Amino acid sequence: MPGKVPRKTIFSFIGPSVIALAVIGIVPLLYAAWTSLHFYNLTKLKRVKFIGFENYWDVLTDSVFWEAMGRTFTLLGIALPLQLGLGLGIALILHKPGLTLLKTLARLSLVLPMATTYAVVGLLGQVMFNQKFGVVNQFLSPFGGGNINWIGDPTNAFAMIIFWDVWQWTPFVALVLLAGLTMVPDEIEEAARLETKSWWTVLRYVQLPFLMPGLVAVLILRTADTLKLFDMVFTLTRGGPGSSTELISLMIQRVGFRAFDQGLASAQAIILLIITIILSQIYIRVFYKEV
Amino acid sequence: MTTSRSLWIQGLLLLVILLVCVFPFYWMVTTSLKTQVVALESPPVWLFEPTLANYREALFDDGVLRTLINSLIIAISTTALAIVLGVPAAFALARFEFRGKKDLWFWFITNRMVSPIVLALPFFLIVRNLGMLDKHITLILIYLTFNLPIVIWICTDQFRGIPYDLYEAARIEGASQWTILRKICLPLAMPGVAVSGIFSFIFSWNELMFGLVLTRTTAKTAPAMAVSFMEGYNLPYGKIMATSTLIVIPVLIFALLASKQLVRGLTMGAVK
Amino acid sequence: MKFKKMLGTTALAASLCFGASNVMADGHAWSLEKAAAPYAGTTVDVVFLLRPGYEAIEAMLPEFEEATGIKVNIIKHPYENALGEQVRDFVAGGDLDVALIDLVWIGNFAENDWIVPLDKFTSNPELADPDLDMDDFFPLVLNAFGGWNGTVYGLPVDNYSGLLFYNRCMLEEAGFDGPPETWEELKNVYGPALTKDGKYAYALQSKRNETQSADSFARMLWPFGGSFLNDEFKSNLMSEESLAGLQFRQDLMQYMPDGIVAYDHAETVNAFSQGDVAMITEWSAFYSTVVSPETSKIADCVEIAPEPMGPAGRKPALGGFSMAVAAQADDAEQAAAYLFIQWATSKANAGEYLERGGVPARKSAYADPALAETYKFIPALVESWQDGVPEFRPRFAEWPEITEIVQEWGTKIMLEEVSIEEGVTELGARMEEVLEDAGYYSGDKPLAQ
Repeated sequence: MPGKVPRKTIFSFIGPSVIALAVIGIVPLLYAAWTSLHFYNLTKLKRVKFIGFENYWDVLTDSVFWEAMGRTFTLLGIALPLQLGLGLGIALILHKPGLTLLKTLARLSLVLPMATTYAVVGLLGQVMFNQKFGVVNQFLSPFGGGNINWIGDPTNAFAMIIFWDVWQWTPFVALVLLAGLTMVPDEIEEAARLETKSWWTVLRYVQLPFLMPGLVAVLILRTADTLKLFDMVFTLTRGGPGSSTELISLMIQRVGFRAFDQGLASAQAIILLIITIILSQIYIRVFYKEV
Repeated sequence: MTTSRSLWIQGLLLLVILLVCVFPFYWMVTTSLKTQVVALESPPVWLFEPTLANYREALFDDGVLRTLINSLIIAISTTALAIVLGVPAAFALARFEFRGKKDLWFWFITNRMVSPIVLALPFFLIVRNLGMLDKHITLILIYLTFNLPIVIWICTDQFRGIPYDLYEAARIEGASQWTILRKICLPLAMPGVAVSGIFSFIFSWNELMFGLVLTRTTAKTAPAMAVSFMEGYNLPYGKIMATSTLIVIPVLIFALLASKQLVRGLTMGAVK
Repeated sequence: MKFKKMLGTTALAASLCFGASNVMADGHAWSLEKAAAPYAGTTVDVVFLLRPGYEAIEAMLPEFEEATGIKVNIIKHPYENALGEQVRDFVAGGDLDVALIDLVWIGNFAENDWIVPLDKFTSNPELADPDLDMDDFFPLVLNAFGGWNGTVYGLPVDNYSGLLFYNRCMLEEAGFDGPPETWEELKNVYGPALTKDGKYAYALQSKRNETQSADSFARMLWPFGGSFLNDEFKSNLMSEESLAGLQFRQDLMQYMPDGIVAYDHAETVNAFSQGDVAMITEWSAFYSTVVSPETSKIADCVEIAPEPMGPAGRKPALGGFSMAVAAQADDAEQAAAYLFIQWATSKANAGEYLERGGVPARKSAYADPALAETYKFIPALVESWQDGVPEFRPRFAEWPEITEIVQEWGTKIMLEEVSIEEGVTELGARMEEVLEDAGYYSGDKPLAQ
């Protein structure tokens, strides 16, 4: 349908972006690939040397790396269903007719967690979840949970991370699903409601098809963001206690900038990148099949 | 009877949502007004004499003000740059036919998925060799890696939504592609551009890892500053919360003012 | 190596004599104003930590800046970031003129040639203060904090020794009229008696960062006769003594608050100041915090003793910082940086530094016996600096990597995610891998720690 556009014109539109992203996105990756093949420690720059795939071998056989990876996916596996469940619930509540003012307020408040600086969420978590002077334990004390050690206990600390991830991103899921719900033509929804009283049937057979694209997008973005998750955990627990909340990006940061082993960290980063690309490819394929 | 009861339940649930979303901010602001002794009170106190000392100390003694200005400069510049570069690219992806278009689009979008730690390591080494550590321009450029994909993603969608006839009519009158973009499509796509700009700004303002690794003093960003109060010797919670408030409140006000566009943008890619 | 060492010391000695004789010959006295005159207007960039010792220098600084016209630009970092920030500055050829060196970083900084040996300046009569008096520094402190392989690079500025802080009131209430002498006693006698009603006998800061390695792991290793490395630089963690120390730490945890692996200094000192914990082993630098009524509920009950003894004797934790001139600075900056370091650590200023909350490493500063009444930590501190273990944590260039391993596996052991034996086997293997790569086993590198 569109007319032929000369190559030069196309390039003038798209070239600058491609070049910019290539320079800042691909050149560093090539450099990382080069670094990953070397012994490259910032505090031993006199001894940089080529060592082939040794760093990769070290990463692939390192239980610590895979534990961090496992932890990252555990977080995703627990947080995402919670976000989907709660998000769907919120979306349905907001979709119900009535209480316009309150609904507007609630919708506005949903924007806040998403816009909050992730690092600040972690700092806030430290203050609110402190065992002694934290407000969370104050809330829980009538229920006999007034002395929970959130930051010092491995399981509790992980639960705390999940809580904040859910707090920050459930609104996103809710708003995406709400948008899906509003796409359902009114007449279809009303007709369905005359047929059946069960909200579940309406959801399953009438609304769900309209929610699917949103759900898939949520799945893709949340997976990517969990693999990227750094700021909130870094400021909240720094990966502790022990390594109970050390997600993959925290681990790479530690190896690269605290142990200064940039060669090993680069190899870890590249393996992470490969995993990310494979996952998004799989998702995109599923995505295109579904839509 | 049943409707009024279900209304009550709905209202209650809406209130819970509201409270859960807002309470942490309430707690952040009140903690920032506490002295260290009050902040460490156990169990925490809700009524106390507020003080602005934490803000005074953070802003003027510790230089948080300068880091806020740095963040502002960096976020605005990178957003502007992302729009200038991204909008024409989005227009091309929406309007022109060429080989590899789909792959190109996919490549742009995958940049959004890449973990910043993957880039932070090599970027640090390169920037070090170029002597560009601790410069505003360095962050402005590296933030393009996540801003450009957002702009391209959202704007491509927006341009596709513009009726084709408009475009064709202008072509027949002999307008160049650039003129069409500027005079016809851009005004119509303004909402999308605004949305992507808002996103770029918020993401850049909130970014921590690059700010932590690539700056030291002159270009230090506000989130990197907030983190630097965390000394194992002494945790000045009031001051940390004051700094957090200073970082978060501007972006929250901005997000609330632009909430309509924000929600549209969030759901744009998702529901189409 | 021996030769180099000798050379270093003789050069140093010679320079000192030279400096002194120069004054005699010249006939007029050296003065800071005169020495600094050529460098007025120079800016010295230095990293400071957010700790009392640095606040003290900052408060004294106007005097120096006024006298010299040198501007000192302080960049503050939390300890946790200080190494990373400096390494990144040095590899990037940044603008730091002074290196702030934790004793465990010195091997690293020296081997990278990021810092300049001190005799370059002490041998220059224009710069060297005739009252520098290197012998006035506690030798252990000077060598451990500022020296590497026989060469002195830095002068000790923020100096720590591990001390036992105890709450006299709590101890008396439980029927003790003094602190425990030995670790065994602390665990077997004081532990059960003081751990009750939500209070704990002891807290050992063990957070997974340098605190885990220095304050927790190493603190329990040495008094029991253990060590990180044996003479061949192989892991000594599997030795009976090392295992005993780590087992002791594990057993002692029943008398510590829950979640001790998340306790950093702040939490530990806070628990003590709130009266929740009866005893802590902490750095001397915290004295001002625990005795100030503003930050401590138990200020009147605080007493100080040396750290308890183990079967291998008293081996208190040793830590602290020196400042050295950065090699990347130009000549004027180097000279100005040296003058600043010399001034900050000088004999003349030690008294004021102490008063403002710092802990100087000058013997002369503690000579007045009356001081011990104001600063209760002095006797224990001075005792611990007479005879300590400089390699309490190995100071070689590989420490930044090794400490990461210790932190990780040390906390895993405490959390009982692995048994002590499994933990130290893994730790030892990973540590030896780093040392192997560094060339210690092939003979490429001398076995210095």
